[in-house]
Amino acid sequence: MSQSPELLKPLKTWSHLAGNRRRPSEYEIVSTNLHFSTDNPDAPFELDPNFAMAQWFKKYRNQSAITHPDWNSFRDPDEIVYRTYNLIQDGQETYVFGLFDQFSDREHDKALSSEWSAVLAKLYTPGRYLWHALQMMSAYVCQMAPASTISNCATYQAADHLRWLTHTAYRTTELSKTFPGAGFGSNEQACWEKDAAWQGIRELMEKALVTWDWAESFVALNLVAKPAVEEATMRSLGEAARHNGDTLLGLLIDAQMADAARHRKWAAALVKKMIEQEGNRERLVACVNAWMPLAEKAIGGYCKQLPDVPDAAAKALDTVKTFHRSIGL
Amino acid sequence: MAILERSEWYDVARDTNWTPSYVKEEELFPDQMTGGLGVSRDKWKSYDEPYKTSYPEYVKIQREKDSAAYSVKAALDRSQMIETADPGWASILKSHYGAIALGEYAAMSAEARMARFGMAPGMRNMATFGMMDENRHAQLQLYFPHEHCSKDRQFDWAQKAYHTNEWAAIAARHAFDDLFLSRDATSIAVMLTFAFETGFTNMQFLGLAADAAEAGDYTFSSLISSIQTDESRHAQIGGPALQVLIENGKKEEAERLVYMGIARAWRIFGVLTGPAMDYYTPLSHRKQSFKEFMQEWIVGQFERSLIELGLDLPWYWDQMIAEFDYQHHAYHLGVWFWRPTVWWNPAAGVTPDDRDWLEEKYPGWNDTFGKCWDVIIDNILAGRHEKTLPETLPIVCNMSQLPICAIPGNGWNVRDYPAEYQGRTYHFNSEIDRWVFQQDPVRYRDHMSIVDRMLAGLIQPPDLGGALKYMNIAPGECGEDAHKYAWAEAYRANPYAKKAA
Repeated sequence: MSQSPELLKPLKTWSHLAGNRRRPSEYEIVSTNLHFSTDNPDAPFELDPNFAMAQWFKKYRNQSAITHPDWNSFRDPDEIVYRTYNLIQDGQETYVFGLFDQFSDREHDKALSSEWSAVLAKLYTPGRYLWHALQMMSAYVCQMAPASTISNCATYQAADHLRWLTHTAYRTTELSKTFPGAGFGSNEQACWEKDAAWQGIRELMEKALVTWDWAESFVALNLVAKPAVEEATMRSLGEAARHNGDTLLGLLIDAQMADAARHRKWAAALVKKMIEQEGNRERLVACVNAWMPLAEKAIGGYCKQLPDVPDAAAKALDTVKTFHRSIGL
Repeated sequence: MAILERSEWYDVARDTNWTPSYVKEEELFPDQMTGGLGVSRDKWKSYDEPYKTSYPEYVKIQREKDSAAYSVKAALDRSQMIETADPGWASILKSHYGAIALGEYAAMSAEARMARFGMAPGMRNMATFGMMDENRHAQLQLYFPHEHCSKDRQFDWAQKAYHTNEWAAIAARHAFDDLFLSRDATSIAVMLTFAFETGFTNMQFLGLAADAAEAGDYTFSSLISSIQTDESRHAQIGGPALQVLIENGKKEEAERLVYMGIARAWRIFGVLTGPAMDYYTPLSHRKQSFKEFMQEWIVGQFERSLIELGLDLPWYWDQMIAEFDYQHHAYHLGVWFWRPTVWWNPAAGVTPDDRDWLEEKYPGWNDTFGKCWDVIIDNILAGRHEKTLPETLPIVCNMSQLPICAIPGNGWNVRDYPAEYQGRTYHFNSEIDRWVFQQDPVRYRDHMSIVDRMLAGLIQPPDLGGALKYMNIAPGECGEDAHKYAWAEAYRANPYAKKAA
């Protein structure tokens, strides 16, 4: 046996973190360098290097135009780990279900006008299809991202979108009790598929969902589709709600927007990581620009139908563009 | 009215399939990723996950579970359990964490595939919780071993193993990549959740939890039983998927997926859990033999659930059950002999008392495996340790990536099961491994086992030293006999005499 004489000594942390010369956080210990399918660029899996799934990962992940020599250096600015995620969101859900409970006791829904209930049936409850689409797409980014620290952000984001979907399903059922015959719980799919308010959004989401390149998928989802639909179907809808006596929806949306803010924070950090590399900023700008017309159409189509928020579309679009500028794009 | 019951709104939350019109249905759900086997999305409407939970319940329950698992750890952090426990126990922890932690993380990606490409909304929602669960399991099983890094370099392998070409890591990657990481959503539902998690993780997690509690490792025991409560929830994604396939005339395809899943899982558990249960766990702490556990948890459980679904037992069922008598003994012998190539210290587990127990649980053990250990014991007692160590690598199976091995001694049945495909000869441990290969040779075609790599000149020099370098394992990490051969001393005065039956 020709072994090297050096005897490896125990280290204070994982060997891959030992060079950092500082105590690793719990986040670093449990989140970094966990994907092993990125180790061999020629063979993502410990199987044939070129069978169909291997090619999918080579093409859509390894050969993405957006490259970085060390994706594993990405860090979630909030350093969320599983247990802190549940701590945060259990608290948030206690708050939201507390709202549901209190507003139900106060018979909040009975005080809503029938005009507003029609707006909710058309512009609020069909949103569950949208949240689910965001959930699905976040799951795609999770499985394709080249670093575990990126995948983790996408995992928690997918769970957050299931959270929004759950709130919407809950409210759909509750509203159907106060407004039987208004289409709550029965008309959402038709609205999502046919109503003019949703068609731009649906087009944006369907096209984004079939974007397979991981980086473009991230751009379409986190830099364009999410900010656009969140500003239109959440922030603007929340404003309309407050003008129509729907305090509950306003508060619910505020609670969900805290998730959206967290998503923008990690997306901004990932963009920062990406544009460390020469040429990536231009690629990202081009990609964002390619997706923005669909986003503008989505925002415009939805906001046009919103009552009592006359400048909704312009404000939503401005917020999206301000977000892009703030992250250097 | 207060808070609505979950059952009142649950169905709304899983009514989220729509008909796309800006892209085609088959673009949104491409066959390669969904694996729908031609069953239309419409037919998947009957998919009904038996275990229902919702987001607010999930985050509440999981917060509580984490709080319990981490507080047990915090309370026992100073107990120095690892330092005082039998060295065989530390070896179980090291092999477990290294083989499992990043595999769990890979399962998160597989759950994500189901969350995106699953054909039924209920499946996608459950898989979203599944992604979260696997994220948890990776994090727990990195956080817990991390504290031992400063005392023992082998614990580094909890994070490092999957990033190396160490042979057991290659075997684990090959199995898990094939079982789930590189599969489509439907196959993942069947192979990962139904075939792998329903039965086999019960083995690793409940079986080891029982042994851990016996050994006094309450941190590990509470950790892995907590993990198993998640597994048993998301493992139920597969059952209803199988029902949909069967109802729509895909029984044969469904069976094929189940059979491949069980076949692959069995090998991994044979090498990982088998030695842990029957050799590394000190005799006084063993609850059941590995074979008994397999009989109860795998044979019993699968027979019940396969029959319930109307599926036939795998064609290899009797053969697999016959392997319970020897395969893991052969793997154990190999792992111990090739101990410099693993990141834990294999415990031989063959004191005279151990051998009595092995003979009782596995009649004939002394005439077969015992014969090999007799030679090893003679060499140890004579101080010829070099004769108990390898000089090169064993022939490994092109499916399991584990040594081709079976019964030595009086029951000799070791043989190669070769197969030709496109001009290359592949070598397999059994008909079962060869059958898996033949189901879809393209998946495995150009993969090279570690021995293929040595023969191709990728490992230099082509000896054990070169192999260790290739595996990125060095002194300080390389395994040694867990008890520094102390166990062999019992034989110095009294050669082993088999107890009269």
